[in-house]
Amino acid sequence: MRIVTKAFLRYLPRRRGLSILQLLGIACGVAAAAGMALSARAALSSFTQAVEFLKGKATHSFERPAGPMEETLLADLMKDPAVSFFSPVIDRTVKLKVGETVRLLGIDPFLDRPLRPELSRVRLGENRAGTEEGLSFLLQERSVLLDSELAAQLKLRPGDLLATHRGDLWVVGTFPNPSSEPLILMDIAQAQRLFLLQGKVDRVDLILTDESGFRSRWGNGFRLQSGRQRQQTLTDMLRAFRLNLQALSLLALFVGIFLVYNTAMFAVVSRRKDAGILRSLGAGRREIVFAFLSEILFLGALGGALGAILGFILSRFLPDLVAGTISNLYFFLRPVPPDWSWWVLLVGTLMGCGASLLGGFFPLAELVRVDPVQALQGRTVKPGQRKMARKAAWAGAGILGISLPLLAASTVHVYYGFASSFGLLIGASLLTGLILLRLAPGLRWILSRMAGLSGKVAAGNIRQNLGRTAVAVAAFMVALSMFIGLSSMIGSFRQSLIWWMGTQLQADLYIGKIYEMEVPEDFYEEVKSISGLGGVDPYRNVQVNYREIPIFISAVDPSVLQRYTTFGWLKGGNENWDPVKKGAVIISESFHRRFGVNPGDRITLNGAKGPADLEVAAVFYDYTSEHGVVMMARSTYLRIYGDTTINSLGIFVDPGNPRRQELLEEVRKRSQSRGLPVFSRRQLHGNILAVFDSTFAVTRSMRIMTIIVAFFGIAGALLTLFMERQREFGIYRALGFSTPQVAGMTLMEGFGMGLASFLLSIGVGTALAWVLIRVINLKSFNWTIFFYLDASPYLMAAAIAVLASLGAALYPIWKVYRTYPQMQIREE
Amino acid sequence: MNSIIRVIDLWKNYNRSGQENTAALRGTHLEIKAGEVVALYGKSGSGKSTLLNILAGIDRPDRGRVEVDGKDLQNLGEEGRTQLRRRRIGFIFQFFNLLPTLTVLENVFLSLELAGKLDPQPAHQALQAVGLEGKENRFPSELSGGEQQRVAIARALVKEPAIILADEPTGNLDTQTGNQILNLLCSRCREFGTSLLMATHSPLTCKYSDRILRMVDGFITEESSCVELPS
Repeated sequence: MRIVTKAFLRYLPRRRGLSILQLLGIACGVAAAAGMALSARAALSSFTQAVEFLKGKATHSFERPAGPMEETLLADLMKDPAVSFFSPVIDRTVKLKVGETVRLLGIDPFLDRPLRPELSRVRLGENRAGTEEGLSFLLQERSVLLDSELAAQLKLRPGDLLATHRGDLWVVGTFPNPSSEPLILMDIAQAQRLFLLQGKVDRVDLILTDESGFRSRWGNGFRLQSGRQRQQTLTDMLRAFRLNLQALSLLALFVGIFLVYNTAMFAVVSRRKDAGILRSLGAGRREIVFAFLSEILFLGALGGALGAILGFILSRFLPDLVAGTISNLYFFLRPVPPDWSWWVLLVGTLMGCGASLLGGFFPLAELVRVDPVQALQGRTVKPGQRKMARKAAWAGAGILGISLPLLAASTVHVYYGFASSFGLLIGASLLTGLILLRLAPGLRWILSRMAGLSGKVAAGNIRQNLGRTAVAVAAFMVALSMFIGLSSMIGSFRQSLIWWMGTQLQADLYIGKIYEMEVPEDFYEEVKSISGLGGVDPYRNVQVNYREIPIFISAVDPSVLQRYTTFGWLKGGNENWDPVKKGAVIISESFHRRFGVNPGDRITLNGAKGPADLEVAAVFYDYTSEHGVVMMARSTYLRIYGDTTINSLGIFVDPGNPRRQELLEEVRKRSQSRGLPVFSRRQLHGNILAVFDSTFAVTRSMRIMTIIVAFFGIAGALLTLFMERQREFGIYRALGFSTPQVAGMTLMEGFGMGLASFLLSIGVGTALAWVLIRVINLKSFNWTIFFYLDASPYLMAAAIAVLASLGAALYPIWKVYRTYPQMQIREE
Repeated sequence: MNSIIRVIDLWKNYNRSGQENTAALRGTHLEIKAGEVVALYGKSGSGKSTLLNILAGIDRPDRGRVEVDGKDLQNLGEEGRTQLRRRRIGFIFQFFNLLPTLTVLENVFLSLELAGKLDPQPAHQALQAVGLEGKENRFPSELSGGEQQRVAIARALVKEPAIILADEPTGNLDTQTGNQILNLLCSRCREFGTSLLMATHSPLTCKYSDRILRMVDGFITEESSCVELPS
């Protein structure tokens, strides 16, 4: 049916403005989903690439369960028959003066060559000065090789100095780094000196010929992981994060489909009469379906392709945000933005078509059901809208009903929680029509007070055209609910974090930084010897495996913490520290939920001298790791792991101590003389909040989507109403309505829909926030976020509702000014 | 002569928004022979358009029997009624109802394409017959009301239907143009032997018709001459 299809397709150039709006609607939805997916993929593939690159040909990594291992073991390792090659490694990070944190690998160039030949070959080959510089890399103190990309980024060349918080490093050469993680190479002996690890190595990378034989000899007191296990361990750490990114992408697509629905509705409205004419001329439903599908698929394909390009552009910027979050939460990562691929275009086009089909389904059904008689008579307000609204509300109530058991099932898997939140949004969307009917008298009262007759008519139009307005209000309500839900979740998390910092991080000063620098043991002794100090807590935080899953061990001084802090306990109070002093442990809520371990249970940790059986004394609230924290006394830690490393010191001085300031100043001075960073409690809290804020950058960026959705949703609905009521406008004109009055009517329709959407979003957004906080976060991260009701997300949503709805009314108002003065009471 | 249209005891009620039923047709009877030109006169709301819509198969009666070209519409089913509209029924509307995105020629050719005829020549001939030669590539919005109605006539005639149903064909035109259109429509129908049923509330149609029917509140009565019609 070429001509029928042609008749539909020709609307696209004829109504350019509308077509562009439709196209942008689809493009925005696809761009958001594609951009998010591409960015997540880029960040995660960079991570995999980096892990692969650093692993090289090593089959296994060998290390102590916690902390560095003794260098003396290397001699025995060398003699082990299962070991073909081995390479001791110092694997640390240094903070550059420019602010970036970079991984520094200390290796023995000769031992490492069989494991990472690429690295060794390139390093020696690239040093054009040859042997002399190769030797200087080995011998010269603080000399390093810099990955060429990092060198270019820092504008450094061989011979330059690289400024770090551990002092200047001398760049003797560069090497190409195929992985995206920035890397500094150093001779292992130099690295040991730099990190004060003389006689110690972090791990040994091995090429093993007989794993079981090796394990039988070295299984006790060590951790042996195959390359696959190691990668799996790291991938597992990102599981919840990946899931949340996927959910965000899905949410973006969900709102995108709403946009497509709106878009398809425009098409239906402007084609309804044509469909009526065609039916009266003998066109069957098939021809009309085909023509409409051609049109929405054309728009879907074009919008999808455009969205793919926009998404690709977005993915040039978003990976930094995603990587920032990963770096804050898990490990340092610098992802490379994805390369252009025609697949992106193809997938975007398919997404656009898919979303078009999904979003166009109900509009298409409406078009197919078009009553030719009514369409020819130009009737637009369909009878029985109340009935429809009631039917939709029943369906919505049904979906909400299904969402409840899904919510309950979220304890089994977080996917049920996501399904339940989608159910909440869909169910609430379907209830919108009925609620709009209930809100109608109130809306009429408000709008008539604001704009007199125009407002009154506008309120009536919203109520009379439920088929259009309810969908737009639902789309806008979903967008605003997402805004309120995400903002409330972030706000509640932030407040919970502030509460947690107030319970756990109460020292007056903190010395050292957990992931960057260790505090020498003798300094701890020195500080402890300062008379007058209330207490010094030597904090050690280290990742170990528990049941083959990575967790963290924290070693502390329980006496000090019992006296000066008030941990948030799930049960009990500070008396929980008493058993810790005697060798028991306390566990974080995430550990308790993840492994189902309760107070009174016993856990077994793989220590340096074999398995250690420990009693769990209590559970505490904690937001440091979603993977779980086991906290124990330092004495217990030393007994199990023999690792004397201290990551930071917490200094406590009694508030009533008259020498308080003097003592703190003394500690500060001594720390600085050792080059150790010192932070006040307020500074530390500020740093943690800054990390928190950057962690949620991705989530925050998603909120911008909601504003765009809101804008297109309302603009689309207003335009649809305008097009549908051309005939009505003729009547208004005949009755003496002035152009400003009709423009005011359009403005009030926009405002009314914005207001209704906002009012609905208060309830739905709060419910969504509750699901996100109490269900999805709890299941994803295993920690409790306390719901803090804050007015600011609601006020901001109200501002967005008003501004977006008024902004969206501008184009229809312009159309009113342009066409209203010529309108007649006729159809053509 | 064979009957093209036979309507027996046709009833149609409308129920809008749960309000009381409104009867549009109350036991209507009608018969139109092949080649007959019939004017169906009646005031607005008398049920004329409802009858035409039912005859075209785009609306359904509550009760009664409708035969078009010897076929019972009820028994034809949706597909059968669609096929009947494609091949045997032409429709002309008061507001022309041309597809705004198609050119004059395409609007006429549309009828042929729907009937499965892919030769555009008859469309050219039909346009020539209604005096629109040279305006084939214009869009409806570039034509006057009279010209648009000529296109609609060409669109109806081109498929050589058994009957043309015209709903207020001159309702949106001035008297002079209306006369021209009626003259054209009736003469072409007579030329091709096509039956024509014109619903109208204008006495203008009387002089072009073989028979005059009057519709009041859903009933049809036969009038002997135009004189009996109120002006």
